[in-house]
Amino acid sequence: MAAGLRITIGAVAYDPKVVTIWEGIRDHFASSGLLTEFALYSSYERQVEVLLAGQVDIAWNTPLAHVRVRRRTDGTSRSLGMRDTDRDVRAKIIVRRDAGISSIEGLVGRKLAVGSRDSTQARILPLYFLGQAGIDVRRIQLVPFDTDVGKHGDTGTSEIDVVQAVHDGRAEAGAIGDVVWAALQAAGRVRSDLVDVMWTSPPFDHCMFDALASLPAATVELFNRILFSMSWEDPRHRKILELEGLKQWVAPRETGYESLRAALDEQGAW
Amino acid sequence: MVTEGTAATAAASAVDGGSLPLGGGLLALLRPALDRLEPGGVLAVLSSTRSVVDDLASWCRIERHEYLGTEDLSESRQRHLIRRGALGAPRGDRERGGKLSARDGRITASDLVAAVPFQAAADPATGFAPRGARVEPGGPAYPFTLNRADSVAPPEVAALYDQAIGAQWDASRDIPWGDIELLPPGLDAAVGQIMTFLAENELSALYVPSRFIARIHPAYVETAMFLATQLNDEARHIDVFLKRARLGGEESGAGISSAVTSHSLHSLLELEDFTEVAFLLSVLGEGTFVDLLRFVERNAPDAATAEIARRARIDETRHVHFGIVHVKHALATHPALYARLEEAVRRRAATLSGVGSVPAPVIDALTILAAGGLDPSKITRGHEAVQELMAEMHASRLKRLTHAGFSDAQAELISNLHTPNFM
Repeated sequence: MAAGLRITIGAVAYDPKVVTIWEGIRDHFASSGLLTEFALYSSYERQVEVLLAGQVDIAWNTPLAHVRVRRRTDGTSRSLGMRDTDRDVRAKIIVRRDAGISSIEGLVGRKLAVGSRDSTQARILPLYFLGQAGIDVRRIQLVPFDTDVGKHGDTGTSEIDVVQAVHDGRAEAGAIGDVVWAALQAAGRVRSDLVDVMWTSPPFDHCMFDALASLPAATVELFNRILFSMSWEDPRHRKILELEGLKQWVAPRETGYESLRAALDEQGAW
Repeated sequence: MVTEGTAATAAASAVDGGSLPLGGGLLALLRPALDRLEPGGVLAVLSSTRSVVDDLASWCRIERHEYLGTEDLSESRQRHLIRRGALGAPRGDRERGGKLSARDGRITASDLVAAVPFQAAADPATGFAPRGARVEPGGPAYPFTLNRADSVAPPEVAALYDQAIGAQWDASRDIPWGDIELLPPGLDAAVGQIMTFLAENELSALYVPSRFIARIHPAYVETAMFLATQLNDEARHIDVFLKRARLGGEESGAGISSAVTSHSLHSLLELEDFTEVAFLLSVLGEGTFVDLLRFVERNAPDAATAEIARRARIDETRHVHFGIVHVKHALATHPALYARLEEAVRRRAATLSGVGSVPAPVIDALTILAAGGLDPSKITRGHEAVQELMAEMHASRLKRLTHAGFSDAQAELISNLHTPNFM
């Protein structure tokens, strides 16, 4: 490693805990010999621009930001790593038990709560997959919760709104990601007598560390080695991993983003 | 939907989830069942709720278990298979049942130690996890420094704890406080002085061990529990001594705190090694105090003072016993400890050299107590009694030291170097 190498990592401040997470990651990298700075942005749109402009070396991106970086760099960007929980994410359609909706065909003409318009898991992909399954999405009455636009659904706020709307009857069905759904179930915050899961989407991948092709291979190698050395069973790392919602950092893969690209094409949402 | 090989995968155990949804109670059956499996073990989940197939697969993905698939047992009932993931699996063997049962309606701490014995060493990262619990990895390292059985947990400690619990008494009710009569001139002040001295020393015996409780690894909690009884004993002694000092005629009241005593007790408070504390405070200090309390009991001017001394002496004997078994246990595993403990005594003697002999107010008060007052014709007898006490203290120390495992020569040397303050 070059003496005095210091890299800047961009992240979006979707919650106060983001500072705790990145200070922790910064300490971990420093103790392993790589000095980092983190720069926080208020939106992924801005973060994509600063990455492309070379103002940050690496960006921690949502799937939407990731595919935009791939597209804007003609596929030359470097993907560095993802969380174990970023692989094979699925969207869920939940329904009110009293709505009598037992299949996705039954959503036609009914009220479907959806998350923010830039949420991959609670809006873009569920609607795309429903279309792929032959449903005319235009004939579903969408009840949108466009909260925290720019954060790409990271806050989970719009998904919680969706679940709430289905609980209290403002919607008969709702679209959310499996991470929020499983967390709400485990926390006992789902009334199973009122609400049930009706459909699960095909799998897709979620967040990614992105860099430009100009980031030296040695830096990539060093970054990955230190990132992947974080352990769920190491008390120094445990808290950071819990806050960031993973148990293990894993190697990048590009195969899980095809559906999102197709959805953005179809929805004209690039 | 049966993934390839599912039907052939043998499940180590199964839970019947009935019609429970995942978020409506199924997890409460599922998670404990998975926790009983080794990583890689397979659990079958029987369910008659259709949506469980969706929820279970997602939950497994996020929790890093492997969802192997499902098969229909009947039209309305499925069998799901889950392979337990390795991340975060608690370490250690699961305890088998039936470890403990009552004998004659009783279960002692010794019974528990026999059922769940001390391990030779303990890991500070297990924190406050009780001995025998399986511990999920990833917790912080705790600042425990007494992490080895040989330096903290003599085998007798649970029995001593059981004894201590059975021997607790009440400082308000168990002393015949009402029987105190007017004492001859000089005796009230002597009793006040002796009680002040006893309380001051017992304060050190309260404070010094308390510094070590938080350093003891909870795997050896019985030692911390015993020390807790010791602290309670000392608190009660301080209570009765200070009450007795204030009971009597015009001359009664607290006496003088000597610089010799203060220096001596300060050197105990500075100790940083638990075995040195057991040796200097309990074996030598409290051991010497047992003789002193016997002297006070023998020469007590009234029943209350005799009872105070008697009860305190019985408690102190238990503390001495703990000190001796602790040191003996440590010496058995670490013969080099002989030299270290001798060195600790020398160091303390060097610190205390030049600070004086037995504090004058204490010697005088003991003399007057044994004389029964200020009558010059009886003071000679009092003086002799105190000289006999000193000889008795020395002889008892030798006995305790040889009992703890020291040679006669070492015992003689160590006893002679012991503080003039008794404790």
